[in-house]
Amino acid sequence: MKARKILLFLFLGMLSSYLKAQDLLDILDQEQPDSPLYANATFSFSRITFGQSVETRKTGTLDIFTSSRFWNTPAPRSQSFVADRMSSRIALEYGLSDRLLFGVGGTTFDGRFDGFLKFRLVKQRTDGNGSSVSISLFQNAGYFSERFAGVNVDRSTRLSYTSQLIIAKKFSPNFSLQITPTFVHRGLLYDDEDSQNHIAVGVGGRYKLGGHVSLVSEYYYVANPIKSQTTFGAFALGINWELSDVMLQWMLTNARSTVEDAFILETRNNFNFKNPNFHFGFNFTYTFHLKNRLKK
Amino acid sequence: MLLLPFLIDQPPTERVIARQGKVSFFSYTSVEHIKAENNQVFSIIDLDSGEIAVSMLMNAFVFEKALMREHFNESYVESDIYPKATFKGKIVDFDPNMEEVQTRIVKGVFKMHGATKELEIKTKIEKTGNDFVITGTFEAMVKDYNIKIPPLLRGNIAKTISIDFNFKYEPYES
Repeated sequence: MKARKILLFLFLGMLSSYLKAQDLLDILDQEQPDSPLYANATFSFSRITFGQSVETRKTGTLDIFTSSRFWNTPAPRSQSFVADRMSSRIALEYGLSDRLLFGVGGTTFDGRFDGFLKFRLVKQRTDGNGSSVSISLFQNAGYFSERFAGVNVDRSTRLSYTSQLIIAKKFSPNFSLQITPTFVHRGLLYDDEDSQNHIAVGVGGRYKLGGHVSLVSEYYYVANPIKSQTTFGAFALGINWELSDVMLQWMLTNARSTVEDAFILETRNNFNFKNPNFHFGFNFTYTFHLKNRLKK
Repeated sequence: MLLLPFLIDQPPTERVIARQGKVSFFSYTSVEHIKAENNQVFSIIDLDSGEIAVSMLMNAFVFEKALMREHFNESYVESDIYPKATFKGKIVDFDPNMEEVQTRIVKGVFKMHGATKELEIKTKIEKTGNDFVITGTFEAMVKDYNIKIPPLLRGNIAKTISIDFNFKYEPYES
């Protein structure tokens, strides 16, 4: 009995000195304040393919953004080099703060000029506290500058507005999903029957194939599409590749525009590989950092 | 009752802690110079045994460019999966009472990005009153820590990263 007691206390004594030797890192764990851990880079860029992602940019970053689409006309013989038609949106997008992104752009094919603001409302936390999703608010205004013969409704204006509530979740370091309820107020009316206000919803996702490359896809469904014309939901399947200051995005899509009201409501082709439905898309972004974070 | 003093056998060991330790690293290549700083590094020393531990959050490293920080966490050190880097070791022949500057070797195990590496680092230890300042530099090979660099960016990131540290310790009361 006595021997067992001594053995037990010897064991406890050894345990206590073992714990003392063990616990320097544990002390540091306790001392380190529980700073909130946020999901970093739910998407690698402010756009998934043609549509907005939940991401804003950091303070003082300026993106030179070019987004081009290439497609062929259905003519059996074409004299064009590579592609019959192309359209580019060239834009400047600036991070006013870590949560607020501002951008202006112009599109070559249809003379649309657009400006937008995107605000990051909620950041997803990965430490089990706080929000389990990220939320951003997006608002744009698009100005259609070209003369257009089909528009003969008096109520027509050249300005269209798109509002989006962007909700995204990073499920794992590799996999993110996003759902985007959208309201579009359209300026251009082709027919008196057409509604000026539209409800749509977008879904998008990315799967990281490696440290720098991810597979992305996006689709927009419109609940009340334009009646006077046949339109289709915009779809894209693409690859995003980030290389330090450069972001490259390739995509197969049916959407011709990179302005929200245009690609959501006025995508006139279904997604397939026939001309002129098939569009090849390429976004190139170069990021300038106008703020040095190490200078205090 | 007789055995109680045996359980709490020694007086609490004296420890010093650094709560705002600085760690910076540098990567110099002909293409690009990259520098990052972390000013929230924690470290603790057991003065009797000379044991030392360091713990830092990888996402607290600040870079000149905001995007670099994002890429560092997202694509290189994967701080979602490996949020912390730690070091645990011993200062060889540490004399906590020596008033002048002592240069000592710290031997221990550094864990980062799921990799474990034994290190021997030369450090300078300065004592002022009850406070200690420990500074030093060491080099780490990128390939030792399973960090993948895409072939196109091999020219931008050095194979050997130089790491500086500077910890100011004050007495620790638990």
